[in-house]
Amino acid sequence: MAPGQKMYPRATVKKIVKAHSKCNVSKNVDVMIFLDYVLFMQTLVKEATIDSKQAGERNISAKSIRKVTPDTLAKFKG
Amino acid sequence: MANNNPASSRRGALAPLSTPRVAITPNRRGVSGEPASGHPSASARRNNVATTPHARAAIRAMDQRRAALFTPGRARRRSLREQRETPRDLLRNLSRVLAPTSKIVSSSSSPDYSARDNDSLPPFAEEGEGDDDDDFPIERPRFSLPLGPEEDDDDDLKPPRLSGFEEDNYTMQSIELPRRAVTDNLIRSSLGSIRYSDYMGPDIQSDDNGIDSGFFPPPALDDTAEMMMEEPAMIERLDADEARRQTIGGDSVFGAIEIPDVGNESTFVMAPVQSPVRDPTATEGFEGLGGDSGPFDDIDDDDDDDDDVNEPMEMPDFGMEDEANDETDDAAVNNISTIEETTLLRTASLTRNRGTKRKKGKKISRYGIEYPSLPANVVKRLATTFAKTAGSKGKISPDTLDAIMQATDWFFEQLGDDLSAYAKHAGRKTIDESDMITLMRRQRQTNASTTPFALAQRHLPRELLQELRMPVPVPSKPPRKKSRHADAEGEEEEEVT
Repeated sequence: MAPGQKMYPRATVKKIVKAHSKCNVSKNVDVMIFLDYVLFMQTLVKEATIDSKQAGERNISAKSIRKVTPDTLAKFKG
Repeated sequence: MANNNPASSRRGALAPLSTPRVAITPNRRGVSGEPASGHPSASARRNNVATTPHARAAIRAMDQRRAALFTPGRARRRSLREQRETPRDLLRNLSRVLAPTSKIVSSSSSPDYSARDNDSLPPFAEEGEGDDDDDFPIERPRFSLPLGPEEDDDDDLKPPRLSGFEEDNYTMQSIELPRRAVTDNLIRSSLGSIRYSDYMGPDIQSDDNGIDSGFFPPPALDDTAEMMMEEPAMIERLDADEARRQTIGGDSVFGAIEIPDVGNESTFVMAPVQSPVRDPTATEGFEGLGGDSGPFDDIDDDDDDDDDVNEPMEMPDFGMEDEANDETDDAAVNNISTIEETTLLRTASLTRNRGTKRKKGKKISRYGIEYPSLPANVVKRLATTFAKTAGSKGKISPDTLDAIMQATDWFFEQLGDDLSAYAKHAGRKTIDESDMITLMRRQRQTNASTTPFALAQRHLPRELLQELRMPVPVPSKPPRKKSRHADAEGEEEEEVT
């Protein structure tokens, strides 16, 4: 990541979570939330890569992402 | 040698050895004389050979082992003693004691049993001595008497007992019943006779020397004529049996129904077919998005999101585009500078985008609150980096990005639900860091060896890490920091694989 670049829009993440939870989000929780999201993305992409490789595709296909999404979401169900 | 040795070995060589053999010798008389006589001969030969006391001791040990191996007589005796301890044997001993005085009792037993006793002696004769034969006639009436009066007197009372047995048997044999149910009407009587032969058979042989002997053996022997002759005694039982058979016929009907259940089991094979049904649901959600924005729109979505989001993000476009693919670069350039690489489709999709992006950018949660989705450039950057680390080329097609965005939305929805649940459970209206820590622990993302700080240090830039570290000097965190470095190393190693 280029220096000086923000990794993610903090306000957006806060808004998203606030909308979904109808709760206030304390000051720095969004960092943890984004961290969790990063982990989620890591898992998702890794699983999708495995799946697409099994399907014989070189790149990650949308199909494999869709196939893997439910499992990964279930994995990240608290 | 062989002829002389057994005697010499017993007396000379082995007598000093074996107190066990002294105990064994009575057994040899009865049972195991031959193997015991065979072995000492070999040992005696060896004794002739062995001159040193050490060798003798070794041979003694050998002989003792053999004695232990080849003396089944001991075990038999023990088993006999155990058998004698059974209540039956207690009764037998008591009968032996009482036999001389209780000769009068023989009169109480019906004279029929005397003949039977002669029949049933041989099994007992194996165990008992010849002297006890006189005592047995007194005992055996006692065995047979309780069984006899049940059948004699309790013809009315018996069916419940039979029902107990039969019901158990029917439930146990319910699988076989459909086969019988086909022939129900014809063979009921014969079935009844079979059952009596099954359960009453031993009683018939042993006890029917008395009055019942006329009743039961004929049905057991399939003599239906005698069945007809002796109906008054049998009818009640047969009726009870028939009623049960009817119920059993019902059961057999169910058993016959269970065969289509096997077909239902074949439908369990269909159950895995249901799981693909989930995938369409997932894809439907995607298709819903697909309806909002076509596959070509995705590039443009990136661009639009870049435009919208990057402004608050302080010009992250260029840095991102440096890392991102050429497509995004092109697309971004298209949006920003409107260069003419745009095909007709792209222009069309752009026009759509402007319309649909408003819909897509603002969604409404279930609480009725509008929320934006995470900017696609952030998502794409993350996906690209992780795709590279995961081993693929790192190219994220717009279709794929669309799917990832959908997954992202779902993830945040799920996360918001979980966090609100935790916060409300804690009695708060504010989602706290403890909620997030709880969530990550429940997600198995953090555990004893993985701290959230280790993860943050690995995945987040330093500014965010400081943000994470600064405000909360909660006592729970410093100990985590201590183990952070080692954990981070271990995790990195894990992730590489």
